[in-house]
Amino acid sequence: MPSGPEQAGRKRARGAGGSRPRRARRTRTRDARAAAGFVLPFLALFCLCFLAPLGYALHQSLHRTERTGPLGLGREHETFAGLANYAHALADDRFLAGFGRVLLFGAVQIPLMIVLATALALLLESASARGVAFFRTAFFLPYGVPGVIASILWGFLYVPGISPLVKIADSLGWHLDFLSRGTVLWSLANIVTWQFTGYNMLVLIAQLKSVPGELYEAARIDGASAWQVARHIKIPLIRPALQLTGVFSIIGTLQLFAEPMVLRPLASSVDSGYTPNLHAYSEAFVGNNPQVAAAEAVLLALVACALSFGFLRLAGGHAGERR
Amino acid sequence: MTNSPVHRRTVLGGAAAVAAGWALAGCGDSGDGDGDAPRERAKGQRIQLTFWSWVPGIDKPVDLWNRRHPEVQVKVEKVSAVNGAQYAKMHAAVKAGNPPDLGQIEFPVLPGFLLDDGLLDLAPLGVARHKDKFTGWQWQQAVFGRGVYAVPQASGPMGLFVRQDLFDAWEVATPRTWDEYEDAAKAVRRKGAWIETFAPTNGNRLAGLAWQAGARWYATHGDTWIVHIDDEPTRKVADYWESLVRRKLVKTIPDRQNAWYKDVQTGAIPAWLGASWGDALLAGNAPGTKGKWRAAPLPQWKAGAQDFANWGGSTTAVFAKARYPRDALDFAVWLNTAPESIALLIDGGYGFPSAKKGWDTTDLDVDKDFFGGQAYSRVFADAGAHVDTSWRWGPGVDTLYQRLGDAFTDALADGSSFRSVLATVQRQTLDDLRGKGLKAESGG
Repeated sequence: MPSGPEQAGRKRARGAGGSRPRRARRTRTRDARAAAGFVLPFLALFCLCFLAPLGYALHQSLHRTERTGPLGLGREHETFAGLANYAHALADDRFLAGFGRVLLFGAVQIPLMIVLATALALLLESASARGVAFFRTAFFLPYGVPGVIASILWGFLYVPGISPLVKIADSLGWHLDFLSRGTVLWSLANIVTWQFTGYNMLVLIAQLKSVPGELYEAARIDGASAWQVARHIKIPLIRPALQLTGVFSIIGTLQLFAEPMVLRPLASSVDSGYTPNLHAYSEAFVGNNPQVAAAEAVLLALVACALSFGFLRLAGGHAGERR
Repeated sequence: MTNSPVHRRTVLGGAAAVAAGWALAGCGDSGDGDGDAPRERAKGQRIQLTFWSWVPGIDKPVDLWNRRHPEVQVKVEKVSAVNGAQYAKMHAAVKAGNPPDLGQIEFPVLPGFLLDDGLLDLAPLGVARHKDKFTGWQWQQAVFGRGVYAVPQASGPMGLFVRQDLFDAWEVATPRTWDEYEDAAKAVRRKGAWIETFAPTNGNRLAGLAWQAGARWYATHGDTWIVHIDDEPTRKVADYWESLVRRKLVKTIPDRQNAWYKDVQTGAIPAWLGASWGDALLAGNAPGTKGKWRAAPLPQWKAGAQDFANWGGSTTAVFAKARYPRDALDFAVWLNTAPESIALLIDGGYGFPSAKKGWDTTDLDVDKDFFGGQAYSRVFADAGAHVDTSWRWGPGVDTLYQRLGDAFTDALADGSSFRSVLATVQRQTLDDLRGKGLKAESGG
């Protein structure tokens, strides 16, 4: 990209007319070329895998299919629909209910998971921790299990007649139903928590490792207890990592898909629009209405965007005040 | 990989994947190049056709075809049939412009593919000359307007499977009418078991039961679809099951899922309103109950009546973009009419042959031992001969099933009536059809 300094350089080169600036210019072009070489693959992939689908989804969401001929068996053609697909999506109670459900899910599951991840990270990074490598791997392991497999696995633990948990509880006279309307959301939350706590813990540990040891020493010399060190030094210093895991979790929650999709055949309480993503999937692949699905996907992206930035602003603002 | 859960979930996430898939698909969709135009095979030219199917054991008849027809090789690509995944894949492929040559498509789903312009009209290829080889009503399920859009393969006449040993031990007679079925349900419940489950999400079976009661959910009038889900026969069926559910005479767990299989294996559920293809399903999933099952005709609304219904059944369809339509059609007809092919298909457990000859040239009692030596296929052959032939499917049946499932689930949870479910779904289905740009009206 031609920037200010380069233009200035060009002017100087014209003025002096010597050979040295020209060589410098050649070097600069070579640098620019090298930089482009590094950036282009990324840009190409970014366009192909991110911008193009986004643009296509936007395009789709603004169009509708019209069918002609008797019984619609004639040709079909696409026409501009304005915001009709968005209106259709927003008028769908099930779609909106899915949003409400996911927000409730996030409001409970995300804080729980992050508190748990933070606690685990602090425990594993405390001076007296033993078997750190083993536990770190053990806690992280569920993240290596794909969401679909994890859901199948937990599904077996939830389904009555098969689940040992239900059987044991039954023999104690305690009737557990993991898949009823009221409980299934929390059964899903359990799967997600199981999967991602270890991952978030690892992000937090990475940040903890970058805290200089002198800070702890100083605190200890001042007579701070382990709790006080955690509360006043460690947690404030890993705030960026907490924000990061928070944003990841918000986005992940809004995209909740694999878990309800897998549990759906097992539990009729999970309906076709249980989460916004599942609703869009059903519209696209069951109803064969790609344009409405695209509108729903765009709406989902907007909400994810708003919530993520809202969260960052909120979390960031607090940090600023404290400083 | 450690980069972020966001990324991985995005890939899994339906919506994002949908958008990406279509975006990439868009590249391949640029006009109808010469490469896609249907071609006549030159004499001696070797070609390969692709065939998407999920039928167990389909490779065997296809292998036989390949041995006998070296010039037209068919390659089977197995697709998953879980939750309609195969149709999602086919619709996406049609949209992307690269569908296979042939596909396994169930009767109810055919109209949905017609809306996509996805299937080839076989009438201009002279498919009519094969018409007499197939059971009339099944042939008719693939006829729309003047076109014929698939070659029928199999059907699923419905019947009642019962654990005869348990019914005998409990002194419960096999029900012949729905009134008797209700009494049987009470008797079984007194023994601590549940006769059945009313699976709220199983729209397929409900359609079959409504079909038996005389419902006609779809009809056409001129170029308009007439939708009639909230009709008297269907209300009768809905009322009947609602009363069983509310009195806790049947379970409400999903069928053909782990919990259900477990109940079937242990005798906690000793009966199943299933279809002819259910023999393989029971024998495969409850091997420990071998010899204890019997098949009986579907209970009747009036004693002595002969009203039967169908659940399932599929076709071999040729996709609109098939490059060698004539060869594809030849294969589809051979697959579903050649006696040696039908024999192999039946071995694999694909259902009840659509070919007329298939009913007597082949031994359909594949799992005879499982049914204690009963010639159980006669029950289904009889049912198949009495299925009302005026039933039609309309576009968007998958959506209809989903809507029924969602609404029945709601009704089970909040106690609203099953009739209100029908009214809701009737309204939604009209909206869905109109949303697809079709003319649709409520049946009067």
